[in-house]
Amino acid sequence: MKNLFEKSQKGHRAYSLPKNDPAFEAFTPPADLLRTAAAPLPELSELDLTRHFSTLAARNRGIDTHFYPLGSCTMKFNPRVNEWAAALSQMTHCHPLAPSPFVQGNLEVIDDLLALLCDIAGMDGGTLASNGGAQGEFVGLRLISAYHASRGEKQRKEILIPDNAHGTNPASASLAGYHIHTLKTNPEGDVDMHHLKSLLSDKCAGLMLTNPNTLGLFSPSILEIAELVHKAGGLLYYDGANLNPLLQIAKPGAMGFDVMHINLHKTFSTPHGGGGPGAGPVLCKEKLKPFLPTPRVIKEGNSYHTVWHEPHSIGSIATFYGNFAICLRAYLYILLHGNYGLRRIAEGAILNANYLKLHLKDLFTEPYPQPCMHEFVLQADNYLDKGVKALDIAKRLLDYGVYAPTVYFPLIVKECLLIEPTESESKATLDEFIEMMRAIVKEIQENPEIVRTAPHTTPVKRLNEVQAARNPKLTALK
Amino acid sequence: MNRLIAMDFVANQKNQWEEMLAALGVRSIDELLQAIPKKLHLQPPLKDDGLSEYEGMRAIEQVLSKNTFPQYENYLGAGAYEHHVPALVGAICQKSEFLTSYTPYQAEASQGMLQATFEYQTALAALTGLDVANASLYDGGSAAAEACFMALRANKGRSKIYLSPKVNPFYRGVIEQYLFSHSFTLHAGEIDSDTAAVVVQNPNFFGEIEDVAALFKKSKEQGAICILIANPLVYGLFASAGELGADIAVGDGQPFGLPLQFGGPYVGYLTCRESLVRQIPGRIVGETVDAEGKRGYVLTLQAREQHIRREKATSNICTNQALAALACLVALSWYGKHGVRDLALTNYQRAHYLHEKLIKIPGISPFSQKPFFNEFCIRFEQKVSDLLPSFHKQGIQPGFPVGEHKLVVAVTETKAKEQLDRYVEVAKHL
Amino acid sequence: MKFSETHEWIDVKGTTGTVGVSEFAQKELGDIVYVELPQLGKTVKKGDPIAVLESTKAAADVYTPVSGTIIEVNHQLKEAPELINQHAENSGWLFTLQLSNPEELNALQDEQAYRDGLRS
Repeated sequence: MKNLFEKSQKGHRAYSLPKNDPAFEAFTPPADLLRTAAAPLPELSELDLTRHFSTLAARNRGIDTHFYPLGSCTMKFNPRVNEWAAALSQMTHCHPLAPSPFVQGNLEVIDDLLALLCDIAGMDGGTLASNGGAQGEFVGLRLISAYHASRGEKQRKEILIPDNAHGTNPASASLAGYHIHTLKTNPEGDVDMHHLKSLLSDKCAGLMLTNPNTLGLFSPSILEIAELVHKAGGLLYYDGANLNPLLQIAKPGAMGFDVMHINLHKTFSTPHGGGGPGAGPVLCKEKLKPFLPTPRVIKEGNSYHTVWHEPHSIGSIATFYGNFAICLRAYLYILLHGNYGLRRIAEGAILNANYLKLHLKDLFTEPYPQPCMHEFVLQADNYLDKGVKALDIAKRLLDYGVYAPTVYFPLIVKECLLIEPTESESKATLDEFIEMMRAIVKEIQENPEIVRTAPHTTPVKRLNEVQAARNPKLTALK
Repeated sequence: MNRLIAMDFVANQKNQWEEMLAALGVRSIDELLQAIPKKLHLQPPLKDDGLSEYEGMRAIEQVLSKNTFPQYENYLGAGAYEHHVPALVGAICQKSEFLTSYTPYQAEASQGMLQATFEYQTALAALTGLDVANASLYDGGSAAAEACFMALRANKGRSKIYLSPKVNPFYRGVIEQYLFSHSFTLHAGEIDSDTAAVVVQNPNFFGEIEDVAALFKKSKEQGAICILIANPLVYGLFASAGELGADIAVGDGQPFGLPLQFGGPYVGYLTCRESLVRQIPGRIVGETVDAEGKRGYVLTLQAREQHIRREKATSNICTNQALAALACLVALSWYGKHGVRDLALTNYQRAHYLHEKLIKIPGISPFSQKPFFNEFCIRFEQKVSDLLPSFHKQGIQPGFPVGEHKLVVAVTETKAKEQLDRYVEVAKHL
Repeated sequence: MKFSETHEWIDVKGTTGTVGVSEFAQKELGDIVYVELPQLGKTVKKGDPIAVLESTKAAADVYTPVSGTIIEVNHQLKEAPELINQHAENSGWLFTLQLSNPEELNALQDEQAYRDGLRS
């Protein structure tokens, strides 16, 4: 398929501009400041542009079109009513630097949404400005840092992170200036308590934990973990990527977590958009509130105003308010569900995951037999003797008309398949998926080649990633 | 029969619920929650406190009706600009296959988004006159911060960064946040052999066009990496970042295809010279071939990223602004090679029309004599805070106040002559 | 040739040693797409991570098996990182250093012991 630049035809165009008044013509920019040649952008008619992007869309799979059990990503339905809300000109026309009296609606949404999220999570305050989970982690770690500094404990330069943690955890800790100690996971899929005890000291600023963890397992030791970390003077950070199964079931705040982020594009249904934009609001306990970033929305009586500078705050994290239109979507989602609906989400997610696990576990190696939460891992290492890896199974699933589960994460599981159906999927869809997996396993026994060389029916076959990395071609420009 | 009140998107109903519980050999979900300590278990909500879709929509309309800003004519800029958003942008971005897909890890099933991202990278490289671009960052501020880290990695051993005092203060705040935990220092003094990078914005926060080429020439003599922050629209008309000698170009693509949305989502762009490609943060799409030699696209150079390199990654970013980058691409290609220039020119002309008339008014004077693009700063004899109510009464948000006597005013193609003349009239009678 | 526990090999000639990664390591990593080599003149301590081998899915640190100063790096790897996959234990070498502490060689495994260790 040609790219946009190859489809360019000289002189073609889609654009139109407001009429220029003759009075404007008097103003011409100084010649010595001008660009020497026009930027080599493509020239296409609006129809050709539309056709191009529509053709691209047809070469892409989304939740709307395909079952998408991508573990760790919570690919639930993206409600269209949220898109309706995000397109309202009453919001989209608002400049982020508008004086507070003129944007009372937006400020109320921010204040309200934070209150709702705090209630859901068992926290006391927060910010919506962080633009993604990773940026949320960074803010949370900066809050931890500011807290310890305010108490004269600058020697706390270490952060503990489990070996099954998402890569953003250590990357964010590094950005926040911390040295990382990796915490081992025990054979039951829980934190290795011996190892934890050996790592805690007065040099430890805190522990970052996902709970349920990336194996889909809730840590039964969480209360003991919290006590140990706090006793050692550290703080507990909650990676909220796996919050979906906890909605109205248990609160991170009650578990002992001091600060956390939420992924609105996971738990709260905002659209994944091919990789973003998302939002990673940060919530915290009372003792960390003074350090929260700016801008902050303050409610006084019935009106709201924005504070852009605050002496104890760590400062800003986003240029303005962050991805506000994403937050608005999540706000409507929460209003529609109420606490009652949120509980149904969590229960539905847990039920769907356990049901799938029950029917798939006999096809693979099951490293953790206990009930899972919203997602689970299976090892596809039992097919290595046929020359078939987890990657091959994922590619063959594409031929069966679904999007593959997450593979090779978390890193501690061999030939890992991380499967998360979400509560949006019906039993019928799950049953179809089970049949697909059974069919592929049969193919592995009878015709492994077709699995090893999959996919066969996608717009392109398996792509040469080695070439892409050895000789990077990163633009269409010559 | 209970009337269904609340909107929830959980597919399975009572029948399937019971079938699945039976298959699992449990009587209720609670039996699956044994790992959670008893004292943490919340009581299930008894009352359905959700809303129907109708009620939810009315609730949103209700709260947003408290915004009065959309009734005003907006001249605020300072990093976010009001432009026409082509109708095609929404039509493409709302397509299911783009909207509801996620990171293209399974490349064969994600060629649409991968190719679109590749085209976005190409468009930004073309616009800024540099070699490569990444797949997007959160916003202009974080893009500037990430560029600083790129320079610090490429210029290992150096500990200082020159940050121009006229860089957008909101961007400065983000840069300071990212650099806070490291021992590098930001300064506005001498550019020397310990300066890893020189960061300047053009046009700057006050709208002035600076002599960037000269500054960058001096910087290169000291071996510093040159980082240029810019509103990408300026490159439709004025010298590209590459022509000015920049090594890295960053900013926000918001002016192309993204409404103001009270702050986001916007899209941080980052482009740079080929030699810096392995220092780039975030995702990047590359072209390759499939098993049959057909052209295709994949995420590449992933060993830089957090999911592989973890604490040693070039950035912690995972989810970026992909769909917003698509919006930017659609708008950029809707304008195309000549449209981008025409758009920039009409922005320039309208801003200069207003500026020329304003500075003739007694009590109003220009901030500087430097050339500008579509944003300028003017000084008032009176305090701006005293003048704003008069503008507001006339339905105008006149610009961003800086200090007690200055306004930074942005003028785009959205302002017709009649509107600009009205601004002048109001200013005359302050 | 002597081998470290982390699958590096060193071939000593007089007071200098050439270092690379073993066949086993290369196979584990898969297709190498990029190599980050140390700077010439750099002083290193035994066990320091001083080079990185990147595949499409992983980035592996290479640890120097002995202390010394880097006197040469294999520039061919810039254009042809696949040399490591093809000839890990000869032309796919990474760097040469001037040994500062030759007794450290005694702590390394000899070739037979290393290969036997892999088989078990």
